[in-house]
Amino acid sequence: MNARVRLAAGVTHSNAGGSRVGRRYWRSLEELADSPAFRTMVEQEFPGLAEELEAPATAATRRSFLKVMAASLALAGLTSCRWPKERIMPFAYRPEGYVPGVPQIFATALELGGAALGVLVKSVDGRPIKVEGNPLHPASLGAASPWAQAAVLELYDPERSTTLVRREGGQRRVPTWDDFVAFAAEQATALRQRGGRGFAVLAEATSSPTVAMLRHALLGMLPAARWVEYEPVSRDAERAGLAQVYGTSLRALLHLDQARVIVAMDSDVLYGHPEALRHAREWGAARRGDGGAMPRLYAAEALLSLTGSASDHRLALPAGRIGALLLQLAAEAARAGVLLPAGLGTVSPFTAGTPEADFAVRAAGDLAQVRERGLVVVGPGQPAEVHAVAAALNEALGSRGTTVTYTIAPDPERRPHLEAVAELSASLADGTTEALWILGGNPAWDAPAELEFAQRLAACPQTVHLSLYENETSRLCRWHLPRAHALESWGDARAWDGTLSVVQPLIEPLYGGRSPAEVLAALVGEPALSAYDLTRRTFASQWGGGEDAWRRALSDGIVANTAYATVTPRLLGDAAGEAGGRLAVRPASGRELILYPDAKVFDGRFANSGWLQELPDPITTLTWDNAATLAPEDAQELRVKHGEVVRITHGGRSVEAPACVVPGQARGVVGLALGYGREAGGSVAAGAGVDAYPVRTAATAYLASGVEVQRTGRRRLLATTQEHHVIDTLGMAERGRRVGSLIREASLNEFQRHPEFAKNATWSQARPLWQEIELKGEHQWAMAIDLSACIGCGACTIACQAENNIPVVGRKQVARGREMHWIRVDRYFAGDPSDPQVRFQPMPCQHCENAPCESVCPVAATVHSEEGLNQMVYNRCVGTRYCSNNCPYKVRRFNFFNNFTKVAATTRMAFNPEVTVRGRGVMEKCTFCIQRIEAGKTAAKNERRPLRDGEIVPACAQTCPTRAIVFGDLKDPSSEVSRLHRHPRSYGILEEIDTKPRTLYLAKLTNPHGAAGEGEASS
Amino acid sequence: MKNDDGPGRFVFPAWTNLIRPLLAVILVTVPAYLVVLVWLGGSPKTTDVGYRPEQPVPFSHAVHAGQLGMDCRYCHTTVEKAAFAAVPPTQTCMNCHKQVRSTSPRLLAVRESYASGLPIPWVKVHDLPDYTYFNHSAHVRAGVACASCHGRIDTMEVVQQVQPLSMGWCLDCHRNPDPHLRPPELVTAMDWVAPGDPAELGRRLRETAGINPSVDCWTCHR
Repeated sequence: MNARVRLAAGVTHSNAGGSRVGRRYWRSLEELADSPAFRTMVEQEFPGLAEELEAPATAATRRSFLKVMAASLALAGLTSCRWPKERIMPFAYRPEGYVPGVPQIFATALELGGAALGVLVKSVDGRPIKVEGNPLHPASLGAASPWAQAAVLELYDPERSTTLVRREGGQRRVPTWDDFVAFAAEQATALRQRGGRGFAVLAEATSSPTVAMLRHALLGMLPAARWVEYEPVSRDAERAGLAQVYGTSLRALLHLDQARVIVAMDSDVLYGHPEALRHAREWGAARRGDGGAMPRLYAAEALLSLTGSASDHRLALPAGRIGALLLQLAAEAARAGVLLPAGLGTVSPFTAGTPEADFAVRAAGDLAQVRERGLVVVGPGQPAEVHAVAAALNEALGSRGTTVTYTIAPDPERRPHLEAVAELSASLADGTTEALWILGGNPAWDAPAELEFAQRLAACPQTVHLSLYENETSRLCRWHLPRAHALESWGDARAWDGTLSVVQPLIEPLYGGRSPAEVLAALVGEPALSAYDLTRRTFASQWGGGEDAWRRALSDGIVANTAYATVTPRLLGDAAGEAGGRLAVRPASGRELILYPDAKVFDGRFANSGWLQELPDPITTLTWDNAATLAPEDAQELRVKHGEVVRITHGGRSVEAPACVVPGQARGVVGLALGYGREAGGSVAAGAGVDAYPVRTAATAYLASGVEVQRTGRRRLLATTQEHHVIDTLGMAERGRRVGSLIREASLNEFQRHPEFAKNATWSQARPLWQEIELKGEHQWAMAIDLSACIGCGACTIACQAENNIPVVGRKQVARGREMHWIRVDRYFAGDPSDPQVRFQPMPCQHCENAPCESVCPVAATVHSEEGLNQMVYNRCVGTRYCSNNCPYKVRRFNFFNNFTKVAATTRMAFNPEVTVRGRGVMEKCTFCIQRIEAGKTAAKNERRPLRDGEIVPACAQTCPTRAIVFGDLKDPSSEVSRLHRHPRSYGILEEIDTKPRTLYLAKLTNPHGAAGEGEASS
Repeated sequence: MKNDDGPGRFVFPAWTNLIRPLLAVILVTVPAYLVVLVWLGGSPKTTDVGYRPEQPVPFSHAVHAGQLGMDCRYCHTTVEKAAFAAVPPTQTCMNCHKQVRSTSPRLLAVRESYASGLPIPWVKVHDLPDYTYFNHSAHVRAGVACASCHGRIDTMEVVQQVQPLSMGWCLDCHRNPDPHLRPPELVTAMDWVAPGDPAELGRRLRETAGINPSVDCWTCHR
């Protein structure tokens, strides 16, 4: 057994002869099956183009083309010689510190589901254009989620609500804010007389201390009024579970940097968690194998998640069986010597030898070994009992205080969201609630289906809805109020750990919206106070902050030392055992339907964002749609093909969704993302996906058992990107072998024995065909991407889209392979389709020193710079697309249309003025963020100092939650990127064809159980 | 009248013999003319040099920069630190014009702007295409004089463009910057003349300051 042999298993030699074909990597089941449709797809450079040219209805004939060309040539001479007169409009009074055209950065916070994410927003000439993470903020650490980054597009969405609306007797009027303030005062007087009886506020979850103060004032004024908080997706089960074993409402904070063994039970801690960015940062830092140690991750889950993809051992298990697995894990832990509370560790639901039992044995053994460095974490979709048992297990391991800490949950008396909204719905039905103010959210659309909330809301005589969009709920309310976006209003918010941030506006409200605090202030009799006054008042009263503290808070984006205090709760005697007992009696029952918040549009609130709709789902690579995900075996059993519409029925409610076959999904499980199929979501959201809320009841909010799946025979075109831009190295026959060399990986053990394994995976005798040009630039730019750290979240794709004015092209174009993203995240599966491993590979332009694109361009539109950049010159490009044809990495994107001509004036405000907006007929691709490089170089030169390493950061690297992407100067031998390029794990993909890529990848390391490492037997 | 050629036979008049040579001449000259017309007529030298739009305020650089000897940076404050040499806010004008000629009708638009807070709509003279990213600070800090691109502003009653600002013109200097460099502290001097050989001085300045203008496409286009 030597390193090479292991490589044959893991990565395969490209020149090693045909005999040793090892592990096969594949992108989709079609590819694995090598279907004829897939072959055709690969053979085409741009799938769908031929069809376009042949289609008589859409394509111009040759004759009409010539006519049009002749006319446009004739008219060309008539255009003016000088471009239009431009005006310079300087400020009459230039604000202090403002330099025209120079970006200003402001710290603020964006809230999602009651947890704040601290961000830095770049504003150019008064227009916020880019959201970055705030390095000082504990939930961000410099990274930003796709949701946070898409906030600028949401801000400028022309379909946001622009006016107040009053609906009365079937009529729709447009009142003013003054009218509303008068109405609020009137209502307050009336309500005060009856002590607030019959009045309720339904608010989305918020951590704002100002809103909390106003709520306090409101309930003081109207003691009989009710305050209801509702989020369709929340972590109430975790809260309830912790309450079961600790007796109080607690909030858990995970510390992955402390963990050596993590067991994730249906939990996507790396993406679907309010602190996911911090988790990802800690995970990415720990998984590089430096120092010879890295944490091991076990994941058991029904649907393939990013955490499951990142795991070393993954078990596909129906969500309803997770509790049983946890009991098994507890039993195995007890057997391995962990002292469990009474009543736990006695049941083993799985018989020895099953994959479940093996998984539990391995995981429990590891946990018992590392004790307080172990962590068991359960996802929000699991029932409270599972959380309770997991908390007890963590307690038994001694992990509380190291890998998990607790704080008192804010608003500890709050009712769980699903119960609270059910009670509210009942009170609307029986008339005990006559007046309802809804602050944010969209309950008419996303409340549990059996509540019939929409009908009851429509029947309520006095309803007010504050919302960014005039959505499904607004349409049923008597008053609709336009809400100020978080980027255009003052406020405050607290992170998941409690750290306070002041929310400051970047721009005046575009449509005169107001914040929830201002609306509440109007009700409690303080209509004259602006959101700024209210926020400052809270700041002064609760944090005693004077002017200095306030300015510090605005500048830093956080108020230091405001995190919630860590508490040391006591485990209640028998509670864990009782919870375990309740879990043990749950049998698996029939096919499961799992409803989960979407990775892109979340619960539906981001559905009108083109950036998010077009971001490929990390696992399915689906854009513009949700789909009923099925395991391959289930699809076969049901005789359902990818894209075929199926009807999913549960308890008399049904939904029809196209099927999407996902390898690695547990058998007997159907997954369906929430947030699609909006009726009143705007023109971007329209037609995207199907609405899953009609089958979602309070009891089946996350999981419905015993669902039926039927074929309908209809099909829906699903725009996935998984087969686009296939790196077709040397034809189909070669692909199976070659793709293996793109992703190189080894276990930690193997890496320690053979550190140079990645470099030895291929060898080549390729020699340059011509004299190579020596690059003489002062700097030599390069990138390094660590596959060990990358979790495939796609934050880089959105960061790049926002930074570089990348167009959204729509479902039809994506289906043709014409998405424009400059950095895509390739997703490969490896191994057995029922239990695959998932590998992600971000793929920007590699900036090859021997760039194949350059030698084929007939007009020198793509040329090399002295600093090693592969430059694309839009003005020279005539659109032959030869370069794209010749690019082995398939990273070049062609503008088939003028993608920005129909973009609204407000949306244009989101453009980065430092980057040209490309027109039809030109090629484009990753520039390594040349605008940032030039800005950094100019700044350093102006100050007559050398550039510092890390001073220039491309958008993708800046936002990467795991810091997988590093950019810098190779001429500086001490730079981080130089160090990584010299790293033993570094390799260039397709370097055997002598392209000399400037982007090197660091091979992936895994840390599977067992000293020998997985795959050892393959010699 | 009748001849051997028979009745009705048409004979080309003698002058038609000229058509062929004439056609040849036209075929040669007209395309050449068109090429020259487009080449020269459309070149920035013809279309842009001398562009001299009327401004909303009859501001005289000749008075301010010339007679009064005000430094360019008194108004264009951002030229050393930003890409744009920003046109000053109305405030800057009123620093002096609250006292000086405070009732002049020529300054009416300035006073109106100062009172209303609305901008004065100046007309852009030196207008680069939107795909060209020029940075004033990089040039000024390196010792490229204002006058090198903008000409003798201190003599202009109405500002006009004196250089073509074409890509070729930019590249001439980027390829051979020496004759255009001067000590950075003298960049705003309008009438400065290099002592001795400007290229020699420029060479020394370039070498000491490490000035290395790039001719890569992405330096200006991105």
